[in-house]
Amino acid sequence: MSYTQRETPVLAELCTFLVEDVYGELAARVYSVLARHGRQTLAAVARASYLNGRQIKYGLVILLQQHLVFHSGNDSQPTYYEIDWLNSYALVRLGKVTKLVEDRFGRKAANVMTNLLRLGHTRIADLKEAYFPTETDSDDDSDDGTVNGAGMKRKRGGGNEPNGSAKTNGVVNGDDVKPVVSGDHAHSGTMNGGPVEQSEQEHAEEDDGEIASVDELYEIIERLIQRGWVRTMTESQYLSPGDMHDMLQQETIDQDLGGQQPTGTKDKAVCHKNTLERKRNMRDKWLNVPRFSRRGKPDQDYSNPTKRVKINGANGYSSAGAASPEDKLVIRVNPEKIAVAMRTEQLVQLVEQRLGHVTAHIYQTMLRMLEANTARCYEEYPEPPTAGDEGGDNQIDPKNLVTARDVAKKISRDLDICEGLDPNAIVQITRKGHVRSANILSQPTDPSTLSMDEKTRIIDKHIQLLSEDPTHFVTWHSRAGFSQWHIEFEEIAKQLIQTEIENTISARKGTLGVKLIRALRKKGKLDERATCNAMMMSANDLRGIVNDLTVQGLVQTQEVPKVERREAKHSLHLIWYDRQRAREKLLHDTYKGMVRILQRIQFEREKVQPLLSKAERSDVVGNEEKWLSKGELDALRKWKEVQEKLSLQLFREDDLVATLRDFHGPLVSV
Amino acid sequence: MAAPMAPSMVPKEEEPSAVDLANNEAGTPADALYDKCAQRSQGTVFFQRDLSNMQVAETMAELTMLLQELCDRHLMKLMTFEGEPCWKLRSRAEADKLRRLTPDERLLYHHIDQVQAEGIWSKALRARTNVTQQVLTKCLKSLESKDLVQSVMSVKFPNRKMYLLKHLRPSEDIAGGPWQSEGDFDTALIETISGIVAQHIENETCIKVPGNWNDYERPDRTADMAQKKAQVQGIRDIEDAPAVKPYHQPRDPNSSKIVHKNNPQYPTSASVAEWLNSKEILRGKTVREDDMEQLLEMMVLDGRLEKISGTNYRTVLTAIDTKVYNGFVDAPCGNCPVFDLCGDEGEISARTCVYFGQWLETQSEEV
Repeated sequence: MSYTQRETPVLAELCTFLVEDVYGELAARVYSVLARHGRQTLAAVARASYLNGRQIKYGLVILLQQHLVFHSGNDSQPTYYEIDWLNSYALVRLGKVTKLVEDRFGRKAANVMTNLLRLGHTRIADLKEAYFPTETDSDDDSDDGTVNGAGMKRKRGGGNEPNGSAKTNGVVNGDDVKPVVSGDHAHSGTMNGGPVEQSEQEHAEEDDGEIASVDELYEIIERLIQRGWVRTMTESQYLSPGDMHDMLQQETIDQDLGGQQPTGTKDKAVCHKNTLERKRNMRDKWLNVPRFSRRGKPDQDYSNPTKRVKINGANGYSSAGAASPEDKLVIRVNPEKIAVAMRTEQLVQLVEQRLGHVTAHIYQTMLRMLEANTARCYEEYPEPPTAGDEGGDNQIDPKNLVTARDVAKKISRDLDICEGLDPNAIVQITRKGHVRSANILSQPTDPSTLSMDEKTRIIDKHIQLLSEDPTHFVTWHSRAGFSQWHIEFEEIAKQLIQTEIENTISARKGTLGVKLIRALRKKGKLDERATCNAMMMSANDLRGIVNDLTVQGLVQTQEVPKVERREAKHSLHLIWYDRQRAREKLLHDTYKGMVRILQRIQFEREKVQPLLSKAERSDVVGNEEKWLSKGELDALRKWKEVQEKLSLQLFREDDLVATLRDFHGPLVSV
Repeated sequence: MAAPMAPSMVPKEEEPSAVDLANNEAGTPADALYDKCAQRSQGTVFFQRDLSNMQVAETMAELTMLLQELCDRHLMKLMTFEGEPCWKLRSRAEADKLRRLTPDERLLYHHIDQVQAEGIWSKALRARTNVTQQVLTKCLKSLESKDLVQSVMSVKFPNRKMYLLKHLRPSEDIAGGPWQSEGDFDTALIETISGIVAQHIENETCIKVPGNWNDYERPDRTADMAQKKAQVQGIRDIEDAPAVKPYHQPRDPNSSKIVHKNNPQYPTSASVAEWLNSKEILRGKTVREDDMEQLLEMMVLDGRLEKISGTNYRTVLTAIDTKVYNGFVDAPCGNCPVFDLCGDEGEISARTCVYFGQWLETQSEEV
């Protein structure tokens, strides 16, 4: 069977679905060619598809604009195209991103973010134009956005764009690119995040999502860049990991090794180390905050002194219409930051399940304070371990520490921080009254009347709960600021993965399956008898479960012959659990589950298609009651229900994917 | 206690005659000595001076002779204690049985006797006695049928048959600890005890707090704000005013929840074992620290306890009662029995899926 005829790998299928869903058929056709054939030149794509060159180019432009496809650098001929799987998958998160940004920076920022997501990478000037169209340009700007404008340079773009030739923005096939300026929230009610915290938002004032002035827009963009949610776009971000590796390795060889291919192990190690360093540097450079010409008060709290350029307070405000130097800057959403925010949300959810909502809220506050300084969930290019260099780098960056006092200052006054604690602890702190025999306070304490010191100490109690949990959500660092803590994300991420695997098994096989997995994880490879001993059960009760989990790929088996003739009777039959394998299997299954959900949505839509096209007619929209029969309205409502249910499930599966894939690099061994 | 040592094995050619002798000579000095010894409490170990103090034998030579006779008749068992010879009594019935053994059987019996409650593996027995496999099997069978020895499956090595004397209780090494009976885990017992232990640990590490534990006046600021705003705007905007009051935990005094204790003494396996033994819940058995650790570790695997720093345990609490799994298994696909067979098209696919149909309450495509 030829390669093209093989069953499509699940992720490719999923991403093709997503691309088709969001960017239409043309883009999806080109995308699926790349997905099936891998890295291709333009000519090869043309050969493998029934599209003509023009169509393929249009399709590619859409994909490039949205960063769904890498391409090799411009200097090497011919140019190769390759799918960016992570970014393609991220399409499913569009709604979630808006929600995450809204929780943190308010609705206006969420609005900007939505537009950035829709447009792909964007020049700031174009974004400004979208919000505040100048009279002469506006028609041109919005109409160009559809397919016909693809590949054409903007008039105002100048020759100075940092990115390559065919990648002008504003191409979204069939979709209305005109940014939603107000009101419209891309996220539906299906997000499962916590309650929106007004207190968490940066803007205390009334926040209705309407951006009033250009300056405000710039301010929002700048804040998003500073916090690492948005990064500047550079050519190098289009290089696939392989191309980037080749380029940087070559650079290392040229500069550090005098152009000689490394031969000895020492040279190779140096080459490897320096290449990684170059990768890190390049990636960190993407996050550099560009110099913004207009500045209000300097905002040093969130700038990252080592990584980012500090911004000096410059001149005041210029008039709204005039062009600013940063207009030419091309910006895009930073996908790594999205994962960080999702990690925060999931950790908070987990804590809420284990320790209650008050503790969870305090944890959320801690995590969000750290978020500004956390660029990514894990280091993709870690420094290779050098022999004899243990314990030297125990130093924790003070930016990754948070104190109980900081939390006490930030925490909302409406939160009843006494909830979820032992009454004795409260009495110990407030020194008012005592605890009666039924564990009731003799003198009730209103948490809003507590002094800052008492508040800090109560919050410290909550944080202690967090640190005592077997997951060790926080780790004690020092006594500064009453108590100072850091969060060992590495370990917690592993624990999160484990929790999800256990959840899955628990749903399928009940507590017994979970117990088996835990026993195997603790003890390593076990034969039947040892398994029984660890679980204190008889073998008969266990065999069925072991068998089922093995078939599902969550438990591994091994047969070790004891005699030369490998008789089954004389062999050791071991079972064990490999977290990495279980994780990959579950991830793969989840992708497949997501594909099935998308297929079901498609199927459900097909069933009501005639009705939908009727309901979308311009004379019917808004007058549904008048033109549609009762049966049709019911069917429409049912379809919406079904769609919502399926989408919600899709987003929840995405949460699982984030846990399994984005929070931690590959796990080594058990 | 006297360690049972191998008595000097004397070839017993004259065994039948010895039996006759015993039958004929009832009421001999040897019997008198036996009766005197039998008056002492059961299981007493006699040393030479004890026996001579009984004043049955006139001289030391006579005593030796009498003892030799009793040993030959299996009424007494010769042992050594710290290098000194000593004797233990056997019941007449038992001695009677022993007398009827063949030499091979007796040889095996002595070796099994030596290991006492630890038991001996049949292969090890053969290695020690040097008898052929057939003889071994035959003798062991006959010994078992005579109710002199028993065979127990070892817990440590499940395919090994361990032999020990009938009246002994197998040691924990071969029969397992207090949680096992007849080589298998006693599920009912484990269930009960772990329930009791879980309750004990919960009492130690958690505290039950009623809903109204902190009954202060709760000013409703959010509602005030919304109200003020509604007054100003005239009409409430659906987007920003909370339509409902923020959720507060109900202060029903009857509803209570369990929270972790402030500065608790976290129990260890030793302390729990001590507590359990003091309660005497397990009749006749004491639980060692190791056994308790095994039980507690099992409960950790079960998710009833969690381990805090090394040796301490506490109860697992969940703040939310409803069990939440994850997005994958909550959808039909996560639990689908034909998930691996499901394809993009064909008889099993998302379009024809009955589980999706049930879940969404819609019609699936008929195959």
